[in-house]
This record gives sequence, C-alpha cells and structure tokens, in this order.
Amino acid sequence: MYHFDWSILAGPSGQLLVSGALMTLQLAACALVLALLLGFCFGVLRWSEIGPLKPVCWLYVEFCRNTPPLVQILFWYFSATVILPASAILVLREYGFAFSAAIFALGIYHSAFVAEIVRGGLNAIPRGQYEAAQAIGLSFLQTVGSILVPQLLRIVLPALVNETVSLTKNTSLALAIGVTEITYQARYIDYAMFRGVEALTAVTAFYLVLCLSIAALGHVLLRLFSRHRRVLA
Amino acid sequence: MNWHLVLTENNVRRLVVGDYPDALGGVALTLLLTAIGIVCSTLLGLLVGYLRFAGTKPLRVVATVYVEFLRNIPLLVLIFWAYFAPPYFGFATSKFLSVLVAMVLFNAAYIAEVVRSGLLSVPVGQIEAARAIGMSSVQQALFVMLPIAAFNTVPAMTSRYITLLKNTSLAFLIGLSELTEIGRQINNRLLTAPVEVYATLLAIYFVLNGALSACMHRLEDRRTFNRVFCFFAR
Repeated sequence: MYHFDWSILAGPSGQLLVSGALMTLQLAACALVLALLLGFCFGVLRWSEIGPLKPVCWLYVEFCRNTPPLVQILFWYFSATVILPASAILVLREYGFAFSAAIFALGIYHSAFVAEIVRGGLNAIPRGQYEAAQAIGLSFLQTVGSILVPQLLRIVLPALVNETVSLTKNTSLALAIGVTEITYQARYIDYAMFRGVEALTAVTAFYLVLCLSIAALGHVLLRLFSRHRRVLA
Repeated sequence: MNWHLVLTENNVRRLVVGDYPDALGGVALTLLLTAIGIVCSTLLGLLVGYLRFAGTKPLRVVATVYVEFLRNIPLLVLIFWAYFAPPYFGFATSKFLSVLVAMVLFNAAYIAEVVRSGLLSVPVGQIEAARAIGMSSVQQALFVMLPIAAFNTVPAMTSRYITLLKNTSLAFLIGLSELTEIGRQINNRLLTAPVEVYATLLAIYFVLNGALSACMHRLEDRRTFNRVFCFFAR
C-alpha cells in the first residue's frame, strides 16, 4: 500500500511547484495578451469583410483552430531557428527560447478563437445602433467609444472568459518543449523523488483554483460592464 | 527546402500506419483513438448531461461537481493521473488505455454541457404531450427528447469532436506512437528539416479535422440526420 507523504510539499518540492506556478501564470498572462491583440485585429478584419483580406483571415482562423495546439508549439519551437534570423534568436534567448515559443504558439492558437468571438460579437450589435449614432451626430470615434465598445464587451465577455480558462489549461502543453511550468515540475517530482501522486494532487488543486477564480473574476467584470444597462419594457 | 528527406516512402508509411504490423501508430492510431473517444465520451456525456438536467437532487449535485471539476483542469494533468498514478498503488497501466480513459472523462464533461443545453432546447409542449399519452420517463427521454436535442446540438458536438481529435496529440507526451509521436521521431532522426516535418503534421491534422467537420456538417441537414439517427436507433 502506498504511503502518502504530504510533508514533501513543504520542502524543496514545494518550492519547485511554486516556481512552476509562477511560470504558468507568466505564460498564461503573456499568451493571453498576445491572443487578445491578434484576436481583436483578425476579428475586426473578418467582420469588416475587406475583399482581398477575406481569404487570408479565413485561412488563418481555420488553420489555427483546426490544428492541435501541441503540434503548433512544437512547430514554432523547432522551426524558429530556421525561420528567424540569428539576431532575433539571440534576443529571444534572453527571455527563454522555449518560453517565447510557447507564448507565440498559444497566443496564435487562441487568437483564432478570440477572432471568432469578436466577429460574432460585432455581428450581434444591430445595424440600427450605428444608424442611430450617425443620426444624432456622433463622430466615428464617439460611435466606437460609447456605442460599439460597451455593447461589444458585454456580449463577448463570457466567451472570452471561457477562452482564458482554456488558454490557462493549455499552458500545461508547454512542458513538451521544456518550459518549467507547474505540470513540468510535477513530472520532475514524480521521476526524481517518486512523489508523483502528491505532486499531481497539488497541481490539480492549483489549476482548479486558478480556473475557478478566472471564471469568478469574469462574473464580477460582467456585472461591472452591465451596471448601466437599463432594460426597456 | 528538404521535402525529399521528409516525404520518403518509409516516412509516409510510418505517418499513416506507424510500425504496423508490429505496432499500430500514426494517423491510424490517431483515428482509432478519436473514434473510440467520440463514441464513449458521447455516451457518458449523454448520461451526465441527462442527470444534470433531470436527475434527483443528489444525482444533479454529483453530475455538476463532475462537470465543473473536469472542465477546470487540463487534459494533460488528467492523462498524467491516468498513466503515472496507478503504479503507485500497484496497478499496471497501458498507454493506450490511459489516454483513452482520460480523454473520455474529460470530453464527457464538455459534452454533458452540450447535451444539457440541447435538452433545455426541447419545447416543453413536446414533453407534456409525451407525458399526456402515457410515456414513461425513459420513453420520453429516448423517443422524444433525444431526437430533438441531438439534432439541435450537432454544431456544438462538431466542435467538441474536433477538439477531441486535436487532443489525441497529447498522447505523445506519455509515448504513445500516434501521429505527433511519429512526426517527432522523424524530426529527431533527420534534425535538418523541422519546418517541413511539423508543417506536414499540421497539414495532416488540418485535413483530418476538415474531413470530420465536413461529415458532421452533412448531419445539419434534417433528412440526412433522420436517416442516420434511425439507422442507429434500430
């Protein structure tokens, strides 16, 4: 029978897990920023339906959505040395080469989903809203700032929160290229100290708490965005 | 470009069937995992989703905890649980079975949510009519709610199945020789053509997913759906 020894989580193994958790958080934060930026750009482009860009945006979104994130991570990690110039690789090495590759791959993968969410959100705003804004004489920037964005945020927020949770979970894939995030540390504790069950339990609890807090934060934000909403009977 | 190094006869054969007849791998194993995964996770998802929708209070709580727990941890962690934890307690594990169990449990949680939303989309009048002509709750679920809910959830199911196919790539992290693992082996042996090898992998996954979503798209037509549904109902 296996004897649990939870005290290992207070020792050096615990420190490994904490450093791994910090790495996971960094990875998720950086990839999320990249995914949101790229996703908003591509979402707006797909929505605007500018002729020549249409097939490019379609291919980008479909290709990123229909290929496994893990293979994308491997692709960018192993191909970057061939594709990028040597100077860029030296710069990336400063930040950790595997770390940069993981951010890039996860950012691109999730940007495709964000783009679809944004496009759906923009499509969900009725045309009458733009026409009304024009009719009362709002400028373009005023229309975007006070008509479009508030409605868009409210519509896309729940889906974006789901996407953030999914991105956070996918950071675990970065262990394939040796990023020392929390799942990697759990594997290390498993094969170096034979305490895999304790480590996996800690990791599971970490992800559970992290993802549920992101979801809770999403609820708070949604209430914040909806506070000016008046329901017209 | 070193395409001629990557697309040799031997490499292509390994990508498609792995080291068959010694060991099945490559695209064949990926498709096998996907097929079994889709069937099992759909069945489990139907059960959990139905319990969450119409079960008694304790069953609803159990189903909700199951869904919320599994949706908030990464599949990779689940695969590691299934593969590395049982030996600590004296049970041998097999790679194929571990990946399959983890994938089915994980995807069933998502499919349960899809099923629940499908059940919520069944018009109340249909259920009331079924009750009025004296159908039991099992008959209501199977003959009235299931056909309506299944048709309504085809698009959502498609995206779940595509995710499942993509997720089979995680199996390579415990050394199962499916498509990604074979690609990695080819890359390790060549060392000179990473772009070509991984671009090939991405292309293969893209085509597989395209085929899967094309098949599912045909089910969005009511007549095709009815024909397929009646075939399986028999």
